[in-house]
Amino acid sequence: MVIDDEEVVLDSCREILAGGTYQIATAADGASGLKLVGEFLPDVVFVDLKMPGVSGFQVLEKIRALDPTIVTVVITGYATVNSAVEAMKKGAYDFLPKPFTPEELRLITQRGLERRRLVQETIALRKEKEVLREHFAAIVSHELKSPLGAIQQNLFGLEAELSSRMTESQKNLFQRMKSRIAELLQLIHTLLRVISVDINKLKENFAPVAVTTLVSKAAESVQPHATRKDVEILISHEEPLGHVEGDEGTLVEALVNVMNNAVKYSRLGGKVHIKARQEENSILISITDTGVGISEEDMPYIFGDFYSGKPGPVAERGTGLGLAITRRIVEAHNGSISVESEVGRGSTFVIRLPALKSSVHNQPSLGAETYSDSH
Amino acid sequence: MSQQKKLLIIDDDPDFVEGLKSILVAAKYSVDAAHNPKDGFQALQSKHYDLLLLDIMMGRGAEGIMLARKLNKDPNLREIPVLIITGIREQIAFLFPGQAVHPHFMPVDELVEKPVEPKLLLDKVSELLQRAQARKAQVK
Repeated sequence: MVIDDEEVVLDSCREILAGGTYQIATAADGASGLKLVGEFLPDVVFVDLKMPGVSGFQVLEKIRALDPTIVTVVITGYATVNSAVEAMKKGAYDFLPKPFTPEELRLITQRGLERRRLVQETIALRKEKEVLREHFAAIVSHELKSPLGAIQQNLFGLEAELSSRMTESQKNLFQRMKSRIAELLQLIHTLLRVISVDINKLKENFAPVAVTTLVSKAAESVQPHATRKDVEILISHEEPLGHVEGDEGTLVEALVNVMNNAVKYSRLGGKVHIKARQEENSILISITDTGVGISEEDMPYIFGDFYSGKPGPVAERGTGLGLAITRRIVEAHNGSISVESEVGRGSTFVIRLPALKSSVHNQPSLGAETYSDSH
Repeated sequence: MSQQKKLLIIDDDPDFVEGLKSILVAAKYSVDAAHNPKDGFQALQSKHYDLLLLDIMMGRGAEGIMLARKLNKDPNLREIPVLIITGIREQIAFLFPGQAVHPHFMPVDELVEKPVEPKLLLDKVSELLQRAQARKAQVK
């Protein structure tokens, strides 16, 4: 499409481009040109910069607002090369200096159309990628988890049928198969979370959360694991303890990951201390275990993806994603996580989150949550 | 009247069905299976079942839910207790964002995740059967 106030330009453009595979529309001024853009839906628009009425710049701007994928080329006399540069800075793809030869017009038209095709393709690909990402979780969960679920269910069935006749050693073999499949299912769960959840999107729903709530919810979720391993979880809060701004679900998840590790790498009958306190503008939550500790050579890798330490004292292995996810969650909350450890003595993880200014959390329940319990 | 309860499994994964079935059969239930919602619906219409075990993700999507909704509208079938057995919690969250993990589709239903441990499965089945019976007694 061509928008130019000079009749001769419009006519010559029509002539030059006729016979090609294009459909051509022309307009003699900005206002009618813009109206035509909406009806004609052009791929490429040539716009004269110097026109009476609506200026070429305004036309460019409006076209951009209408559909930023339309490729615009400015037509300009030699005297206005500067404004052509200006137009290109504002998103015009190319410029056509007047007077132009038929060859020049054809070439620029070709280039413009090619550009348009690329822009559209890129958008289509981007959309496809987004859809893929969204559906990926659902597809993977069904396609990967179904067979595993079926295997596990058949193991359960077989075990139920044989239970009265199995020897201890056979039961043990069953147990091994079941727990490895359960681990694999868990790994797929975790992977899906990494792939499908855009942690930065969480920021849209941040709200004040009481630190005591986070800690007690996380501890509750870890308790069964701790009970199984005869590990005692001790919680203490240092008052006053404020709120943080964040997403409760993922913050609890972050704490659960660290607490689970603490339990996992504890010896039977060990203790895990969870302490929360406020230090000026920061909330510090520390999780201390008296377990196997982390060796210095492992230290740089523990917050990376797929890094899993040596199995815990009672052969347990993680997916190697827990701390990596935790770090991402904490960082999305403008916080940080650090660790100190001594091999054989245990580790202390400290999660530091920015504290909310006290004026924000005026919930009366705060006082009632003051407790220091131990399980 | 026979004491043996009749259960129907609707799930499109025959391998999963067999694993589930063997646990239920060992617990003295009579178990039939249908491998798609259409056959399942026909089975429910042609024969009396005491409980339905229903998969969610079948065919082209959440066809299990469509079936549950259909059953809920049918005055003859809506009283059957349903144990929904689904791949993952997240799927429910995808389908019903912002809702509680367990969306109630039917008057008496419960949701468990695949795979289901034998004890949990049998507990849920007998609990649902009891709840359905209690509800029946109340209505009469």
